Amino acid sequence: MTVLLDPTSERSPTTRPRLPRPKRLDGLKIGILDIAKSRGDVFLHRLGERLTERGVAVTHYAKPTNTRVAPLPLRQQIAAEVDLVIEGLSD
Amino acid sequence: MADLEARGIPTVGVATTEFIEGAAAQAKSLGIDPALVFIPHPVQDRTDDELKKLADDHLEAIVAMLVKAD
Amino acid sequence: MTEDLPRDGLVAVVKRDCPTCVMAAPVLGDLARDAGLTVYTQDDLSFPETVPERIDDTSLDVSHRLKIEIVPTLIRFAEGREVDRTYGWDRGEWQRLSGVAGLGRDLPEARPGCGAKNVEPGVIERLKVRFNETGLRSRRIEIGEDEDEQEAMFARGWSDGLPLVPPTEERVLRMLDGTARDPQEVLGLVPPALAAATVEKIAINAVMAGCKPEYLPVVLAAVEAVLEESFAMHGVLATTMFVGPVVIVNGPIRRRIGMNAKGNALGQGNRANAAIGRALQLVIRNIGEGRPQEVDRATLGNPGKLTYCFAEDEEASSWEPLSVERGLAQGQSAVTVFAGYGLQGVVDQKSRDPESLSRSFAESLKTLSNVKHAPACDALLVVCPEHHRTFRLAGWSKARLYEELYRLCEIPGSDLVAGAKGIAGGGPASLAGKTVNKFRPGGIMIVRAGGDAGMFSGIIGGWSVGGPRGSLPVTKEVRP
Repeated sequence: MTVLLDPTSERSPTTRPRLPRPKRLDGLKIGILDIAKSRGDVFLHRLGERLTERGVAVTHYAKPTNTRVAPLPLRQQIAAEVDLVIEGLSD
Repeated sequence: MADLEARGIPTVGVATTEFIEGAAAQAKSLGIDPALVFIPHPVQDRTDDELKKLADDHLEAIVAMLVKAD
Repeated sequence: MTEDLPRDGLVAVVKRDCPTCVMAAPVLGDLARDAGLTVYTQDDLSFPETVPERIDDTSLDVSHRLKIEIVPTLIRFAEGREVDRTYGWDRGEWQRLSGVAGLGRDLPEARPGCGAKNVEPGVIERLKVRFNETGLRSRRIEIGEDEDEQEAMFARGWSDGLPLVPPTEERVLRMLDGTARDPQEVLGLVPPALAAATVEKIAINAVMAGCKPEYLPVVLAAVEAVLEESFAMHGVLATTMFVGPVVIVNGPIRRRIGMNAKGNALGQGNRANAAIGRALQLVIRNIGEGRPQEVDRATLGNPGKLTYCFAEDEEASSWEPLSVERGLAQGQSAVTVFAGYGLQGVVDQKSRDPESLSRSFAESLKTLSNVKHAPACDALLVVCPEHHRTFRLAGWSKARLYEELYRLCEIPGSDLVAGAKGIAGGGPASLAGKTVNKFRPGGIMIVRAGGDAGMFSGIIGGWSVGGPRGSLPVTKEVRP
């Protein structure tokens, strides 16, 4: 573990903040990323159905294996194609 | 998740309650504050209908993590 | 281990890499045997052979706690407290402290010791960090083992786009050794956040920029200069125009820290030039929260906003250095900051006389910003040595050149009228028949820099309209 000294005026917390969220889902595209743990697909597909019913555009993606992070091309593809992501199902 | 947020895509992770401590530890070591929704453990042995119900029950919580809370 | 320190008794701290300690080894053996002396060794566990139960202090914990500065040091404890100590070899003193007579009969009366290992440069900082005695007040950021240091710093927004030197406590402590100033001294409030720039915070950014400790006084002077109200740092940062602070260094400090005033002085490759300018920009970014597309609205900006710092070539110049021109004493190290951008080249390989060369400069100067703008921004003219030579041989002082340039920069009003030259902008028709100077009085500054070969001078453009409504250049002394 490395300890660094803060070069800033320290007005913000040390944890990186989450990205700002949009006000509504209207017109936005949601990506659902299955991290390939068992039974997650059923859960995630149901989420996708319900969101589609609401009129939200949904695209499903899947990691090839749950043992490693999603490959770079997949991450780049997701970032290029959707506005928001639901990732699951970790246990 | 951190990678997608770093690429400008707000992300919410869904995990079982088994993952709560692990998620906290990972977040601390990476200095991030990920948006997470937890569903009751276990999931492996659940039927399809049970899983679909879990999805229905948690949909609002998940959506709430993707839109701005007012 | 400090548990081994006797409540009552004698302690010695030694190292093998010290001829006096080696010489005194037999005495250490005698005292260990006869007077219960406890010996701590700083470097080599096999030393001294004369003391079978010497204790390992290679971690230097005990030496640090006992504030050892010289080895050998001999200390007497009574009732758990130190009551006396001596250092180096001195028969009289050692006999007095130990109460044992006839020590070191074969040895000289006295002999000085050596510097203790725990106060060697680099070591003392590590110990201060370990013992939490740094006196540093900044928040500590822990980077987890999962995280790459570089990525962690980028992710936190600390970078100007290039990799940073991780500001560990040790590096910052060493950086602070570069100044005599108190780390908690506040130099001013950095816009736009108006957050306090302490010496410590500046040092952290100086570490990240790649500065050596000896550069810190120059960085401090540059920060002081841009925080002067007349420099208008907030405006300089927030503008849609091109400028950023340009730092010109004068005086003996240039050579002491190895700055470049010669070939490629405005380019890459010199650590001091590059790191000092960069440190200033990181201070504005990290302490002041001035960042592009946030408060910094520059449309294009310019590459100098990464770093723009160089030394004036004072040696062999017949002109006074910029700092002297601006009122400081000859031989006083100083920085001047100028809100500027880019570099407009003036190529003149033909002029044989100062009049012709002055015209080359003036014609280029008059195009700054827009040919229709007058008065326009300030300008910093960087005269290369070969061009300076032309003026020197003709006996032209700096003042003479200024006079010539201002005269040549008078522009006929008819050229400046709206629509003139087919350019929409400009002044009212009533300007025709008058002349307007391209520059306000004092709007041009001249420095000499560059390699000895090449007839290529340069113009660094300024901001908006020069003068008190914009940014004024500021000169500050470099203090230790």
